[in-house]
Amino acid sequence: MSETVSPVMFLILAFATIGGAVMMLSTRNVVHAAFWLLEIMVATAGLYLLLSAEFLALVQVLVYAGAVSVLVLFVIMLTLRRREDAIRPYEPSWAGTIIAALFLGALYMAITRFVPVIAEMPEKVPGVADFGREMFTTWMLPFEVASLVLLAALVGAVWWSKGGDGR
Amino acid sequence: MSVGPLHFMALAAVLFSLGLYGVLSRKSTIMTLMCLELMANAVNINLVAFSHYRTPALMTGQMFAVFSMVVSAAEIGLGLALVLAIYRLRKTVELDAMQELKG
Amino acid sequence: MGYVLAIPLLPAAAFAVLAPLSRRLRNGAIAVSVGAVALSFLLSIVAFVATLPGGHEAEAAYHAFVPFAHVGDAVLGAGLLLDPISASMLLVVTLVSLCVQVYSIGYMHRDERIGWYYAVLSLFTAAMLTLVLSDNFLQLYAAWEVMGLCSYLLIGFWHEQEAPRKASLKAFLTTRVGDIGFAIGLLVMFNTAGTFDFATVLHGMEWAPQTATAIALLFLFGAMGKSAQFPLHVWLPDAMAGPTPASALIHAATMVAAGVYLVARALPIFEASGVALTVTLIVGSVTALAAGLLASVQHDIKKVLAYSTISQLGYMFVALGAGGLVAGMFHLVTHAFFKSLLFLGAGVIIHAAHTQDMREMGGLGKHLKVTTVTFTIGSLALAGVFPFSGFWSKDEILTVLLHEGHYVALAISLLAAFVTAYYVARLWFRVFIGPQQTSDLHEAHNEMLIPMGVLAAVTVVVGFASPAFAHFLGHEGEWPALGMALGSSAVAASGLLLGWFMYGRRTKVINTRAIKQRVDYVYGALVNKLYLDLTYEYFIVRPYQRHAAWLGRFDSNVIDGVVNGAGRSWRALAAVGWRFDASVVDGAVNGLGQLVKSAGGRVRRLQVGRVQTYQGLVVGVLVALMLWIVVKGV
Repeated sequence: MSETVSPVMFLILAFATIGGAVMMLSTRNVVHAAFWLLEIMVATAGLYLLLSAEFLALVQVLVYAGAVSVLVLFVIMLTLRRREDAIRPYEPSWAGTIIAALFLGALYMAITRFVPVIAEMPEKVPGVADFGREMFTTWMLPFEVASLVLLAALVGAVWWSKGGDGR
Repeated sequence: MSVGPLHFMALAAVLFSLGLYGVLSRKSTIMTLMCLELMANAVNINLVAFSHYRTPALMTGQMFAVFSMVVSAAEIGLGLALVLAIYRLRKTVELDAMQELKG
Repeated sequence: MGYVLAIPLLPAAAFAVLAPLSRRLRNGAIAVSVGAVALSFLLSIVAFVATLPGGHEAEAAYHAFVPFAHVGDAVLGAGLLLDPISASMLLVVTLVSLCVQVYSIGYMHRDERIGWYYAVLSLFTAAMLTLVLSDNFLQLYAAWEVMGLCSYLLIGFWHEQEAPRKASLKAFLTTRVGDIGFAIGLLVMFNTAGTFDFATVLHGMEWAPQTATAIALLFLFGAMGKSAQFPLHVWLPDAMAGPTPASALIHAATMVAAGVYLVARALPIFEASGVALTVTLIVGSVTALAAGLLASVQHDIKKVLAYSTISQLGYMFVALGAGGLVAGMFHLVTHAFFKSLLFLGAGVIIHAAHTQDMREMGGLGKHLKVTTVTFTIGSLALAGVFPFSGFWSKDEILTVLLHEGHYVALAISLLAAFVTAYYVARLWFRVFIGPQQTSDLHEAHNEMLIPMGVLAAVTVVVGFASPAFAHFLGHEGEWPALGMALGSSAVAASGLLLGWFMYGRRTKVINTRAIKQRVDYVYGALVNKLYLDLTYEYFIVRPYQRHAAWLGRFDSNVIDGVVNGAGRSWRALAAVGWRFDASVVDGAVNGLGQLVKSAGGRVRRLQVGRVQTYQGLVVGVLVALMLWIVVKGV
């Protein structure tokens, strides 16, 4: 992708993400909500492509759109006893609305005061290869730590979902 | 119109707020976890946008985003395992059914 | 020429509108979907006219490309390519889709989920149009997979029942096996050529024979899955569990033809290889004959048509394997029309007779006048009788085989033509002639008959376009030689005669038992679908399940052991800590605890026990802090 971000694509993807989030929060069916989450994740991958982060876009699709969505769907299916359980009552929350709106307002004020400094794009836009080089040199140690975190989470998830200490 | 970092920040702010609203209002543990993912996603969009506009050559923001993804993947995995464990124990995933912290 | 973009986009938009609203819309869904595909059809006619008078396939009438991503030096993106091949495919796809969608108004009007049905049909049409308009193999693959999904959804449309559910899974998994070959082929192609573009890959470079063979064979494997070629054909007969109009569109006219289209597009690579062409020829001829034989022992009318489709697709592969691009594509076009016509007719017949079993039908000819006429036209075209379209395209294929000197394939094809004529006659006499077995027969509504009339009219006339079609694709075109025409007609006539001899004569009970006893082994093999399903069951499904069970045992014994061991040692460690805890730390803590307890008693009213209240408090304080910072302007 070139250095400039295409406004049309940005608008389409912004609409897709925000619209998806609104749909996810407004649908009463948990399964539908999971599918809207999937749509948001795929649209976000598109945003990453716009921002010339191809590797992240791929990871986003693999991890979120692929693994996480499937996991969420599985847990939904496992914890539903009947098909009707997927439909939930409307649950508006005044406190939640007010807090979220205030939060958005605070962020809005912060963003409007923020003066971004934009760095020059280098001649050659760094690609996946440069990303890999950077990751395994400068970011080697955090990378290894991250793999430990994942391993610990894996063992923990197996332990808990099998029923924990009891068995 | 050219798209700058502010546009991405605004998008991320809206997404984050929507996720926050969801976390505060949903009574299903699974929905709450999904909304948490939405918030993490908003943060990652910001990180990648900063990376693109601020450190295009070093890709620092992208690195942060990768680690953020690792952590949130671990979180959702553990979270869902917890949901399953809780479900096994009490046959429900409603947050309202868990009130042991009551003083 | 920008309107070309609208051709696939209109059905896609229809899907986007219908998918979320499918439960609420009924007549609205029909209007949106049919309207979109009708507009696409009109635009396809415009696009077709724009490509006239045709010419060599390399010269595109319209080409647009939008890059999506850069991978290394390669550019990936989506493109539209309008050339004679895609223009003719556009016409076929949109016309058949329009007819099927109009027909479905009558066929599906009682179904609860008609909105969803139309949504998936629209998505399918959009995907097929994207496929034929692709200018690169990656986009073609993407559209290919979307069609696989639609096929899965439509086969399993009545998922409350067991059979459609199983059939949809079988179809999806079997075609996936082929798709893996296609995907690996794409990787090999990208690794060698660095691009997926038709222009570069097909006409702009010299392929090394080994690479070309690898890619072509992998592509062929994908095409065999999608086009249900032997031995990956097992899913198509089961796929008949879906709604009949959907079978007409997807499992007869368009999607199953996508494999043929893929091979036709990639034909330069196949030609660079040589070996791959021979393999295509062998696969095609084996399929054409075997599926034809299987069709002659089925009793379910839709399964006869399904095996017939497999056999006719085999014909197309034979043509392409002999290098006959025009013959293969022309048979694709004619077959799409007459086979969808036959399926739509079968839908009316099933509705009228309330059964799919041909043994329980008979004498329908007197009551279903329009259906009988149109179905007869379709049957004659399938049998290859002059002047219906199947005759012309079949003759073209036979001519190509004769010219290229593939005499074995020619003999097999003639034999398959004989078998085809035989099972057509068997089907026709069983359904329309003979004693009537069901009462209250009634003809279908007009919205079902008109599409059948349109398809029948096309079936009658399209054959005469044979030389023109060849010119349009940029090849020499001639009428079939008289000798070949007479020969194939004789073969078809003898097949029909045999069918009449066995099923058409005025005997009261048809004595198949006598034949069965005489050719017991052959008949048994055919009835059991050449034992292929059983083979798969024993050699793939069962070992897979055994393997999975073994893995499960491994999981519960070994891995669990490790995890449990870790847990136990942690507990032992904790016990040691506990002793220290109880004696020393507790003393200190208890004192502190008293203090905290008295303080806590007062704050306790805040603790309502709802997690979300806590969250709200935390975030609320955070927001207040943020607002303070922002307003103060730190």
